[in-house]
Amino acid sequence: MKTQQIDVATAQKRIKRKSSFRNDLDAWILMLPMVIILYIFVWRSTVLGGVWSLFKMQAYTVKEFCGLDNYVKVISHTQFLPTLWNTVQYVLWSLVIGYLPPLFIAIMINEIVHFKGGFRVLIYIPAVIPGIAAMLMWYFMYYPDQTGLLNMVLNKLGFESFGWLNNPDFTIVGIIIYNTWKAFAGTMLLYYATLQGVSVELYEAALIDGAGPFKRLWHVTRPAIEGLLLLNVVSQIISVFQIMEQPLAMTGGGPNGASTSLGYQLYQYGFNSGGKGTGQAMALGVITFLILICFTIFYFWLNKKVENRY
Amino acid sequence: MKKFDTKQTGVLSSSDLKSWKGLTIYWIFFTILCISALCSLIPAIWTICTSFKDTQEIYAAFSFFPSEMSWDRFVGRITESWGYLQLGRSFVNTIVLSLGSLVVRIVVCGFGGYVLSKLKPRGSKLLFTLVVWTMMMPGQIRMVPNYITYLHFPFAFDWGMGVSLLDTYWPMWLGAGGDCFAVLLFKNAFDALSNSYVEAAKLDGCSNYGVFFRIMLPLAMPVIIYQSIGVLSAAWSDFFTPLLVLDKNSVVPLEVYRMQGDSSIQMNTYFMGLVFASIPPFIIFLFFQKRILGGINIGGVKG
Repeated sequence: MKTQQIDVATAQKRIKRKSSFRNDLDAWILMLPMVIILYIFVWRSTVLGGVWSLFKMQAYTVKEFCGLDNYVKVISHTQFLPTLWNTVQYVLWSLVIGYLPPLFIAIMINEIVHFKGGFRVLIYIPAVIPGIAAMLMWYFMYYPDQTGLLNMVLNKLGFESFGWLNNPDFTIVGIIIYNTWKAFAGTMLLYYATLQGVSVELYEAALIDGAGPFKRLWHVTRPAIEGLLLLNVVSQIISVFQIMEQPLAMTGGGPNGASTSLGYQLYQYGFNSGGKGTGQAMALGVITFLILICFTIFYFWLNKKVENRY
Repeated sequence: MKKFDTKQTGVLSSSDLKSWKGLTIYWIFFTILCISALCSLIPAIWTICTSFKDTQEIYAAFSFFPSEMSWDRFVGRITESWGYLQLGRSFVNTIVLSLGSLVVRIVVCGFGGYVLSKLKPRGSKLLFTLVVWTMMMPGQIRMVPNYITYLHFPFAFDWGMGVSLLDTYWPMWLGAGGDCFAVLLFKNAFDALSNSYVEAAKLDGCSNYGVFFRIMLPLAMPVIIYQSIGVLSAAWSDFFTPLLVLDKNSVVPLEVYRMQGDSSIQMNTYFMGLVFASIPPFIIFLFFQKRILGGINIGGVKG
């Protein structure tokens, strides 16, 4: 009996050694498409973006090395600092307006017993509408004359029409309100899934210990969702900092550059400058990259902490 | 009320809902949810209503719903707008685009996730770390280099051998494959499947490819469906890459974007265009509603 076992073990080992090269080869062949695509469109592009930012570009051909020339051009542009500040404003407003509501709604939907499925479907509808159609819908809701829905309501209530996206003080807030409306449901479902994972026994134990609704919210719900909530701050910062399509479709960066973000400026440099700004586009890309990579590192550090804790 | 008695204990319990304090909280929750559901719906409803109005009515004073609505008008507005916007060709193009993206996503990311999860050849650990890191890396630095790559694919320089991908769907298709988050989701899904499936099949003489196609892929159906929903919806909503690369072959999101710059389009036709563009994603949603609303926790956020 014993010898047989040893035989099987050695035989298996031999087969394993013989086939391990073949297995590795098969595995890499299966993975090849992914590696090639990631190499061409992600890794190589990232490196080349960094390298080419130091070169003079003639439309989309690389010319000679020019040091930090592109960076100097980008940073010394009079609109650079206002644009950077706009981008920071986008991020801040998105945290103020859009960060907590998905959590609250997720908690509420988790507690409701009437019409629960219905609420989930209805609240998810903005996420279903294609992005560009939704942006243009909101563009018209914000329309500065009486055709826009919001001004229609204002006029009906006896107020003057408001400029909305044409108002330099409101335009960023307006875009962020749209963005919150659109991205809300996705985040909400993420929280909702986490809330569903909280064991009922914990709540019941807390109930028996005499904890009221608010105490239960604080001592049972909060610890379960804290980690995800923290990670979402960072990922929201990273994604909103790169906002580009919304100003492109809704405001064109206006009025007077009041809604121009770094991403939109990069698009302008790269594809709307008659080929003169390609180098600057990459320099701006590197600047954005350097700012955000700090957040990325922080995200992974945080992720590790969160995972260790739960 | 009966529903209150059987409520699962959460922040509110059925005993709370007997006191006025608990009931107040509950109905406040209910009201807030009603309001947010309304906020979610109003822009969409307004768009549909406006698309059925007359142009004069749009510019006139306050009106939310169209003043007159009949079957003839309903059909009339739809056929008239459809005829004017000429979206038929772009709809076909978008279907081609979305199906292609779907195939590429499943082949490229599915295979990749499977290998990273189950086969783990030498070097895959390093590759996985790289994939996870690139997932969270800011992407705008890649925009111009990628565009240059589209011009001379697969090279980044004009060496005279590359193929231009402009005005083809390949940039979008390949883009659907180069999604690190999707790779991670696939990997997590395969991680959840037991290793013994692989071992059993191998003992029965199945090749590495056989194991994947005959056993693992069917078992991973939920994540495949989940990914399909994402890819298909993205194809109907992404206008940015098409804006950069497409010229003659237009797709629906790009057509919608171009409508904005076209002042000859009547307002009601314009709104009808937005409605048309939203129909395919809604059909996808209706088909997969249960999966979309329930399946988001596949993989979750853990890296």
